[in-house]
Amino acid sequence: MATGKKHIQQLSRQLFTLSLVDGAVSTDRVAGVLEYVAAHRPAQASAVLKAYRRLIAAELARGQAVVEHAGSFGDSLLARIAEAMAKRYSRPIAGVARRNDSLLAGLRVRVGDDVYEASVAAQLSSLAQAV
Amino acid sequence: MSTVLEQIEQQIARLSSKAIRKNTGHIRSVADGVAKIEGLSEVMYNEMVQFPGGAIGIALNLEEDEVGCVILGDIAQLKEGDEVQTTGKLLSVPVGKALLGRAVDALGNPVDGKGPIAATETYPVEKIAPGIVVRKSVSQPLLTGIMAIDSMIPIGRGQRELIIGDRCTGKTTIAIDTIINQAKINRVGLAAGDPDFRPVYSIYVAVGQKNSNIVRTISALEAAGALEFTVIAAAPAADNPANQYLAPYSGAAMGEWFMENGMDALIVYDDLSKHAVAYRQISLILKRPSGREAYPGDVFYLHSRLLERSARLDGKGSLTALPIIETLAGDVSAYIPTNVISITDGQIFLETDLFNQGIRPAVSVGLSVSRVGSAAQIKATKQVGGKLKGELAQFRELAAFAQFGSDLDAKTKAQLDRGSRIVELFKQPAFSPVPIELQVAILFAMQKGFFDPIEVKQIVTTAHNLKEFFTARKDALLAEIRTKAVLDKDLEAKLQAACDEWKAGSAGQG
Repeated sequence: MATGKKHIQQLSRQLFTLSLVDGAVSTDRVAGVLEYVAAHRPAQASAVLKAYRRLIAAELARGQAVVEHAGSFGDSLLARIAEAMAKRYSRPIAGVARRNDSLLAGLRVRVGDDVYEASVAAQLSSLAQAV
Repeated sequence: MSTVLEQIEQQIARLSSKAIRKNTGHIRSVADGVAKIEGLSEVMYNEMVQFPGGAIGIALNLEEDEVGCVILGDIAQLKEGDEVQTTGKLLSVPVGKALLGRAVDALGNPVDGKGPIAATETYPVEKIAPGIVVRKSVSQPLLTGIMAIDSMIPIGRGQRELIIGDRCTGKTTIAIDTIINQAKINRVGLAAGDPDFRPVYSIYVAVGQKNSNIVRTISALEAAGALEFTVIAAAPAADNPANQYLAPYSGAAMGEWFMENGMDALIVYDDLSKHAVAYRQISLILKRPSGREAYPGDVFYLHSRLLERSARLDGKGSLTALPIIETLAGDVSAYIPTNVISITDGQIFLETDLFNQGIRPAVSVGLSVSRVGSAAQIKATKQVGGKLKGELAQFRELAAFAQFGSDLDAKTKAQLDRGSRIVELFKQPAFSPVPIELQVAILFAMQKGFFDPIEVKQIVTTAHNLKEFFTARKDALLAEIRTKAVLDKDLEAKLQAACDEWKAGSAGQG
């Protein structure tokens, strides 16, 4: 069982490495990888693809600053946030805006695993925990 | 004026709206008290992670694509996809004197219904043990109040002495007796007002025990007035394995506070066999490779890093450890017992046969040892009990041969008589530790042959009478022994006179 898990990890990582061009995920390469998997059907293909998907999703998330906002939000602010994040992480980061009214007010920016919380909802939640 | 206030308010508003950075992940699966989390790219080994609903976990497995966490708390409300965040902190527990007299769980939360604990400090549960330079050799005695141990297998402050034996052989009783004795000594010492007196505070860590047993222990300590000097850290059998795994480390952190602040502490781990089982359970759920007896490869490190934290520090205090290990059918060569035997500075081995013969505490003299030796004994005990271990060992050897024939020479008979008397003398009821000065007096009487004319069956009663005689009528002499801690000619003469007086008195009564 452990060998199976190791095999899945190794193969998915190999496929992931093949999907990068200059350290960024290439759409063409991903398509090529998927074609290869469909044609050759490696052992535990489904699990390999799931692991591969997770790696690709994590890599894509690393290159995106998902800005959740409640209320109005301009493109210029999104561009400024993306620029600031790119500077902070020393890699190109694209800004993506998403409306989230549950934040009440303020912003929440997610870059990969990192979350920058500046929303009223989060402050209320921390206040509720403190009380 | 209002402009200035507005400026300040704006500054406050700017500060309070500052974004907080969190490193997050998502639960991939959760089962058996363990969560597999994807993300948490910045998590550290042993770091606390925050789950939704207030539950916390500890990151134990840092893998390439996921993090394995043990969850401390209610897992019923956690589900796949829930967001988890790092805290940047190691798990810490409250420490300090505010914990004395209280029963807490593995996280230091009170479980005795006596309200919140007013502790102001916390210590990390996992801590690197003190190095060589800061340590000092063990030379001060930690008196258990058990004659067989104090005279033959002395324990010093900062030592790690294992208590090992089968189930129901009196392992916990020895530990509880020791805690009670510390409380008695503390009370006498603090009442005397000696500025050099160093009280010993105790921590009793219950791992994987029945709640009823823990309650019984607490009741025994309370009845003996020892609870006020004791902290109980409990992770009963009903607790999840993560809490059972953590409890000894939490207890060690509580003990370390006393040691670091120039005080002496005693910690009892009851017991490390169950602790190893809890760790095995966690490791298997985390899918770590298993080794001998299905324990993970680092089970030695589990106990070595715990017991190494007991030490006597130069210029500070000490932490003495009494780990307990339960054997199966007296097998000391099993995996966990041999591990802990090799880590500790000696062991007190309790035998089922001796226990069943009514020899209690059932200490096996041959298999028990204290590697610190007489360095941790007061001189008076050395004077009266120095040869006891040898005599008892000879007695056991001769007793085996004596079963085959009755025509024994006078010397052998004398050795057997003496040995059987020593065995009787060392019998001691549970939860009644004997003060060291009284031990010295009784052993002096034994050494000088006062018990020789007594029938072996009558030794226990006679020794009890002698104890009563000394306690009731020779209080000043006992206090002198306690203070001087050495038998000079004057003290020996006084002891001899007291024993003669007791003998004359008992003969008169008889």
